[in-house]
Amino acid sequence: MDTQQQLQQAFSDALGIPAASVTDDLTYNTIPEWDSTAHMILIAELENVFDVMLDTDDIIDMSSVAQAKLILQKYDVSFG
Amino acid sequence: MSASDNDLLHNASVLVTGATGGIGQAIVAACIERGATVFAGGRDKEALSALQARLGKALKPLVYDVTDEQAVKEIFRQLQRQVSDGVAPPLYGLVNNAGVMLESPLSVTSMDKLKQQLNVNFLAPYQHMQLASRLMSRLRRGSIVNLVSQVSEQGSKGMSAYAASKAALTGATKSLAKELAPVGIRVNAVAPGFIDTPLTGHYEEQGRQAVLARTVMQRAGTAGEVAQAVLYLLSPRASYTTGHVLPVDGLFCP
Repeated sequence: MDTQQQLQQAFSDALGIPAASVTDDLTYNTIPEWDSTAHMILIAELENVFDVMLDTDDIIDMSSVAQAKLILQKYDVSFG
Repeated sequence: MSASDNDLLHNASVLVTGATGGIGQAIVAACIERGATVFAGGRDKEALSALQARLGKALKPLVYDVTDEQAVKEIFRQLQRQVSDGVAPPLYGLVNNAGVMLESPLSVTSMDKLKQQLNVNFLAPYQHMQLASRLMSRLRRGSIVNLVSQVSEQGSKGMSAYAASKAALTGATKSLAKELAPVGIRVNAVAPGFIDTPLTGHYEEQGRQAVLARTVMQRAGTAGEVAQAVLYLLSPRASYTTGHVLPVDGLFCP
């Protein structure tokens, strides 16, 4: 599983949505599944999968899948 | 997790701040006695080493200042690294025990002293809860216990800064209990009254008697009694209790 698939799987597991629905333009609070509780679970899932510890500012900024990729790249996670 | 006496916290790590103080040591000992691995936080390296010598390898000392934001982040990274490496079980518990008590009337309380109270007694525990809850939510289980005070519940002349800082922590406890329940984390508090520790050792006999006169049980509490209350709320025995402030005060009547 490459990092892109890991990311999709993490979003899918945390939000309880199909992996195919995890696209770059998926944004926080635009679907009922991605609420503040799910956001917390998502952060835990991403930290677990990529073995990183995110700064609070980065968590605040993580408002979409595309943004999540940009932020994770700061922690040396590359997406092809 | 089994709920038998000796392995109540088996296969669980607990972070205890202020571990070298009177109540802190009793909490650390109680957790280790019940099978926990304890990350013991404090500023005094020698005191932590002495505690480790007494309680054994289940105690993992963490030397840092709870008000140093960067140091706190680094401590949580270290803690998680030990969990990832299999050196310690996952973080299950957090006890925000570190605190400072200022006795100072309003007219002579400087803003610096007020900020110190808020930094140690509220902002530091808040940051610890923020970081700990992220680790706990990975496993959808966890328990946080904050040490507040009967002073914050009842008020006390000459202790407004201290009371306010602890009241802030009580408010956060009750709010976070609601916020973190969906991810399996309980948040409670223990509110000690007059406890015999080095923190209250400076009381002169007259002052001590004045406090005890307002305590229905007519005696000071012990650190061990506070630790047992913390242990209860921390453990799965309190699995249906969250957002609660448990007084350990011999029924203090201000």
